[in-house]
Amino acid sequence: MMRNHLSVIFLPTNRCNVNCEYCFENKTADRMSLDQLSAVTVKLLDFMDESSISFLTLHWQGGEIMTMPVEWFEQAHERIGALAQARNKRVDHGLQTNMIAYTPRWNRIVKEMFGNSVGTSMDYPNLYRKMFRGGPDDYTRIWKRNIQAAREAGINVGVISVANRETLKVGAESFYSFFVDELGITDFQVNTPFPGGEQNDTKRDLELENEELSQFFRDLTDVWVERGLPEGVKLGPIDQLIAHFSGEPSCLPCIWQSNCADEFISIDARGFVAQCDCWVTSYPDYFFGNIFEHETLSGLLKNSTARQEFVARPAAIVDKDCIECDYLSLCHGGCPVRTYTMRHTLLEKDPYCQLYKSLFRHTETVAARLAGARVDRTDFRKALIHTGKGKSCGTNSQTTAVAAWQTQPLVQLGRRKALS
Amino acid sequence: MNSVTYNIPAHLFDSYQGRKVIVRSDSSDELVIYLSRGNLENVLYAQLTSLKVELDLDPLVSWACALPIDVVVRNPAAEYPLLYHFSKLLDRHPVRISIPVKRGFVKAVRLALALGFSVKLEVGQPDACLIAEMAEVLDLYLRRSEVSQPVEYFHSTFLSFFNHQQSPNLWFVQEEDPEHFRFITNEGAETVSPRFGEIDLRELKLIVGAQQTGSRLSKTECDGCEFLETCGGYFKWPNQEFDCEGIKTLFSRLNLAAEELRNDLASFQELPGGLPA
Repeated sequence: MMRNHLSVIFLPTNRCNVNCEYCFENKTADRMSLDQLSAVTVKLLDFMDESSISFLTLHWQGGEIMTMPVEWFEQAHERIGALAQARNKRVDHGLQTNMIAYTPRWNRIVKEMFGNSVGTSMDYPNLYRKMFRGGPDDYTRIWKRNIQAAREAGINVGVISVANRETLKVGAESFYSFFVDELGITDFQVNTPFPGGEQNDTKRDLELENEELSQFFRDLTDVWVERGLPEGVKLGPIDQLIAHFSGEPSCLPCIWQSNCADEFISIDARGFVAQCDCWVTSYPDYFFGNIFEHETLSGLLKNSTARQEFVARPAAIVDKDCIECDYLSLCHGGCPVRTYTMRHTLLEKDPYCQLYKSLFRHTETVAARLAGARVDRTDFRKALIHTGKGKSCGTNSQTTAVAAWQTQPLVQLGRRKALS
Repeated sequence: MNSVTYNIPAHLFDSYQGRKVIVRSDSSDELVIYLSRGNLENVLYAQLTSLKVELDLDPLVSWACALPIDVVVRNPAAEYPLLYHFSKLLDRHPVRISIPVKRGFVKAVRLALALGFSVKLEVGQPDACLIAEMAEVLDLYLRRSEVSQPVEYFHSTFLSFFNHQQSPNLWFVQEEDPEHFRFITNEGAETVSPRFGEIDLRELKLIVGAQQTGSRLSKTECDGCEFLETCGGYFKWPNQEFDCEGIKTLFSRLNLAAEELRNDLASFQELPGGLPA
């Protein structure tokens, strides 16, 4: 199924300690035991063996991941490490948490298991993130206090922020200042909202106009280029798009992969397997199966009709109008979950298509402008000769035309034009 | 070892050991089975001649071998969305998509390039409509920053114009030069490529040899054509009356683009510091 790297969005708990109005997960009280965790790990490693995959990344989240005890993680880390080592596999771990339950007791496991980094979430202004008792302001206050404490403990804090209608009103400059100037965050990412899970009044009003959203992202790009780029601030997906259009290595978000079904799966506390965290918690019709009930993960995936719908989606929608798009290579029809929750089918392109195209166009223009401003010997050569994303075959020394598609670099006139 | 490369069906792999081969099959299972049990040293690439594979868990994806793979599209306008099913191959193999120049083929090229595949055009003798589509593909290849892989025959032609060097002509680039390539039919008969059908090999060598030097075509438009060295009369087969006007337009645009790039490089050389070594 997947490439030489398996990514799993892993939810060992479906519980949460807060009450965010726009959350796309339907919560349950389920938690995974350590024995269940071992069983899941063995099946993941079996799958990796079958598929000749060497690397696994577990993206730990929930529910809320910090509702699990620290001690549980210490044992989980040990068990997974031992199982992986016995199979000669490498496992990396990432942590996504709301940080509301963070205390310094987490510091050691964050350092040892998660490379001293956490990912968390906050919006500006915060409209929908709430405690069970208390409003958004209480949530924001506790969150700020805890990320401050984590940062003082040397933990790197990355933030995902979902734009809302008030974000668009305050504008890009204020938004950027909140995270960078006020909070000192140097690594954050902006996502678009979607009304996943059980419907409520907030979700019915969540979708934003493409035009306004596009303007916000364009403005944010300009703010970042002026203020963030010189300071090394990371702002996804804008910084990655600029890197992409500059011919540099880049890492674009899952919504713009050629097919997210090739990239990862999600497993929740009950053992259900689905495409991502939204699907696995809120849409039983799209579960691929339950990992505890199947002998192998490969068998589960192969026999899942729901999974086949995801695998087939890009091919099913490309002929509608994506094939004519200049940015097909960047987007491939966008995110299935945004499409489904806003259009009630998988077989449409992402409803934020207009935003994406606007952002691609703008960042492409900005990248060209930046390249023009910094032409030096190195940049010029880099711009001129492009080796094709490392996909050339270095093992064949044939110099025949037959071998040319394996070895020849591609001269990019487009990049040269961007410099002129 | 002789310099001939044989395009063979997978079931003949064992009997061609020791010779340079391209191994083809319409079944990815069959390719993996035959290639897994032989020496791959002389295998230039594996060729999958059908797009009808399992949606997922294709054996080529989990095959831990970095052999290049050429995927052949038969009906590009209708089949092109199926290319999505091959994108996973790129993590383990260099992948080229061979696309026939038929109505609507530009969609297949667009998607192949968007997925990061190399492309080879199976060009034949295109009419005016197809020339227009080829011009669109040429624009993609030359101008779009999103394109990062070669499109043959444009790429080899561009490099030969750019480098001002004698390079293999289109017979070779298209893997149809009878001095260098053989196509072995499923029944084991030896020819040069499927489009030459049953024509006798010796006769074909004479024809192609003459076309490459222009001697056979001295009274046709190849006589004095500025692109003969690059083209080798490739487009005059099988119909020698084929009008090359459209094809020559494409050659001209490639030549112009190469010249533009050379001029730009020269102008940068004149800057303080010059070009990097």
